[in-house]
Amino acid sequence: MSSFSASSVSKRGSIVPPLAEDPAFVDSCDVLICGTGIVESILAAALAWQGSNVAHLDRNSIYGDSSAVLNLDELPRWVDEVNYESAVFSNAKLYQPRPLDSKKYFVDLTPRVLFAKSDMLQLLLKSRVYKYLEFRSLTNFHTYENDSFEKVPASKQDIFTSQQMSPVVKRQLMKFIKFTVEWERLYNVWGPYRDKPVVEFMTKEFQLEQTQIDELVQSIGLCSSNDVATPVALHRIKRYLVSLETYGAFPVVYSMYGSASELSQGFCRSAAVGGAVYKLNATLTGLDVDSKTAIFNDGSKVRWSEKLVVSEAQITEQVRSKIPSSNPEYQINHLTVIVNMDCKEWFAEGEDAAIIVFPVGSLSSGNTKTVQAICYGAESGQVPPGQCIWYLSTVQGGATGQRDLEEALSKMEASILRESTEDFEFQVDQSDVIFTPSGDPVLSSVKLGKSMKDFVPEKKLTYLIKLSYNQKTSIPPLEESIKDVAKNDGDESPVIVTSGAPTEITYDGIVEQVKKIYAQIVGSDDDFFDVDFEDDEEDELTGMAKQNKKQEDDDHVPDFGDDMEL
Amino acid sequence: MSAPRKTTSVKLVLLGEAAVGKSSLVLRFVSNEFQENKEPTIGAAFLTQKCNFPDRTIKFEIWDTAGQERFASLAPMYYRNAQTALVVYDITKPQSFIKARHWVSELKSQASPGIIIALVGNKRDLVDDDESARKVAEDEGKQLAEEEGLLFFETSAKTGLNVKDVFMAIAQKIPEEQKAPSGGLRGAEEDSRVDLNSAVAGPESSCAC
Ligand SMILES: Nc1nc2c(ncn2[C@@H]2O[C@H](COP(=O)(O)OP(=O)(O)OP(=O)(O)O)[C@@H](O)[C@H]2O)c(=O)[nH]1
Ligand SMILES: [Mg+2]
Repeated sequence: MSSFSASSVSKRGSIVPPLAEDPAFVDSCDVLICGTGIVESILAAALAWQGSNVAHLDRNSIYGDSSAVLNLDELPRWVDEVNYESAVFSNAKLYQPRPLDSKKYFVDLTPRVLFAKSDMLQLLLKSRVYKYLEFRSLTNFHTYENDSFEKVPASKQDIFTSQQMSPVVKRQLMKFIKFTVEWERLYNVWGPYRDKPVVEFMTKEFQLEQTQIDELVQSIGLCSSNDVATPVALHRIKRYLVSLETYGAFPVVYSMYGSASELSQGFCRSAAVGGAVYKLNATLTGLDVDSKTAIFNDGSKVRWSEKLVVSEAQITEQVRSKIPSSNPEYQINHLTVIVNMDCKEWFAEGEDAAIIVFPVGSLSSGNTKTVQAICYGAESGQVPPGQCIWYLSTVQGGATGQRDLEEALSKMEASILRESTEDFEFQVDQSDVIFTPSGDPVLSSVKLGKSMKDFVPEKKLTYLIKLSYNQKTSIPPLEESIKDVAKNDGDESPVIVTSGAPTEITYDGIVEQVKKIYAQIVGSDDDFFDVDFEDDEEDELTGMAKQNKKQEDDDHVPDFGDDMEL
Repeated sequence: MSAPRKTTSVKLVLLGEAAVGKSSLVLRFVSNEFQENKEPTIGAAFLTQKCNFPDRTIKFEIWDTAGQERFASLAPMYYRNAQTALVVYDITKPQSFIKARHWVSELKSQASPGIIIALVGNKRDLVDDDESARKVAEDEGKQLAEEEGLLFFETSAKTGLNVKDVFMAIAQKIPEEQKAPSGGLRGAEEDSRVDLNSAVAGPESSCAC
């Protein structure tokens, strides 16, 4: 009979006996990376595939570092932690009036969307990491104007059918869009405005009106104001325009269950397949830069031969004095709520996500920076059906920024209550209905906006979660020069501190940042993810595939149907 | 072959202590081979295997994870979207059965609610001649499986005993609607998921590898 009896512990709900710890973690590596944020995770994968020995650790029990995605058990703990000690987050407040099924919620600390034509998307394809993730489309970019949300007209058809614009404005707008798609080649047009705010350029060269400029620069371009330098704004407006029609009539996609941390996990997984080793719950407690040794809270020591790469959030007080300071000085204010409505009214047909932009000056708080909101319904995997999560953020720091966010939130609340009330009546007459080039009737949204202005809702929106916090980063907002991101260039120090999150709700700038660090470590970024992944989908690229040469081909298919009844 | 059959993909993850025979089970399943001294898996390995059934073809997308503790932190990434899991232990190693319990309870609390789990006691060949080598009774495995609602098999990757049966039993348990058409990224017909590898326009946007 068996000498081991598990029957004493096999009752349901009984305590599972503890496991003997296997101490076999590496004691040396080429590159030691602390923090599983998006920058560090891409770097880990790139280095692993390049052939470096990578050890990758994180002080937290989950992946993502400062862009983690938390369930509702983890969230209150995170709030306590960052209020106690954090170089990145501060002033976190959480309001949850009643208990919720915590595992059905995923709250993203730094939500981002992915433009269909962008370097990050290219990298996801090239690295094959996209296969680990699930993406959905997001079509609607709304701009808050005159107390209602207008869908931004960006395609030819939208512009054509818009009733708000006079034919003259429409023509100017089309001209500008045509220009922007190839702006880089037309230096003679924008050159004189190189260092000037884009609003000047658009007013003087294209006679565009305030409304159109706001929509183009702040909604489509996701710029924090119209004061962004002309080339910066043009680049960002183009980013939207060229992304449209890449996969369909939508400019961006988003990953389900969360953004940057999902990508991080995908890249970590790729890194692991490439040979990197991983450890979570490993806090940096000691550092000897001369002997290139790091000590962790479990007593383990890891020596590195090339570089230690560490994110701001992984630097504990014990080691801070030994690490070059990066001094994050820019702020992002966040306000995240979960509401008990699905908010379908904001989403395009078949989708469950939208972006809403509150342009500068559109709020009664007199906001001098935009407020950007990403809204996700249940299809995002972040909330249960019938609910919606709204992520509001602004690069306006301090109490001013918080006020702007609260103000924007109240506008969103008022709007969704108006729009979701079914028995709301209004008269439609012939002039409200217009026709698209394909002959489909479209209801003018001007009418909707105006008639709902005086509407008093009988429903009240319930906030299931309300979370606010302040985030710091060393990457300046767009209005400031975007050139000084390359902080670590030419740095001979054996320690590299990664910059914080870009002040962005997209992934722009991240791949660039990783490539710079990669080049610092291996000399150049020529072979960045220069991996010859087998193109055949069936024949995957992995440890096992390498060991067993050919593990699958279609001729060898065990045919269960013939000899077994099913 | 006759009429084109529906091919459905099933994501499967293998979990279990080091050296219990996870990779060997996969190798037996996909290549009908066995290696006496198989190297430990580093990180994880990915393989696919198609199986023909009378009404459909099932394509298993298999993630074989590394059992060594230094890779344990990675596991959640693999089981996150898995529809099915094989939790493997070695019937001659009691510690591996304890580890299997851990995996089962972790999957129950962390993985997607509908996940189909098969509990597999491997290296059955070692006890066939010498019953004293057995350190985990078959009943213990059965009991755990009953309590937790798992499929249960004792297998041998070496002789091939029950190996096909495990995968077959899993395939049978998958309800029609749960069978994802292909991996995580799929076409837009079924829902609004976007396949990043299927750009409609632009030369830059096709896969650059
Ligand atoms: N006798 C016998 N040996 C087996 C059986 N299955 C695997 N082995 C042997 O056990 C050892 C470990 O097998 P692996 O398949 O590498 O184990 P693993 O679970 O993948 O290990 P890790 O990758 O480290 O997690 C190898 O030497 C195999 O030959 C079996 O059914 N019977
Ligand atoms: Mg293995």
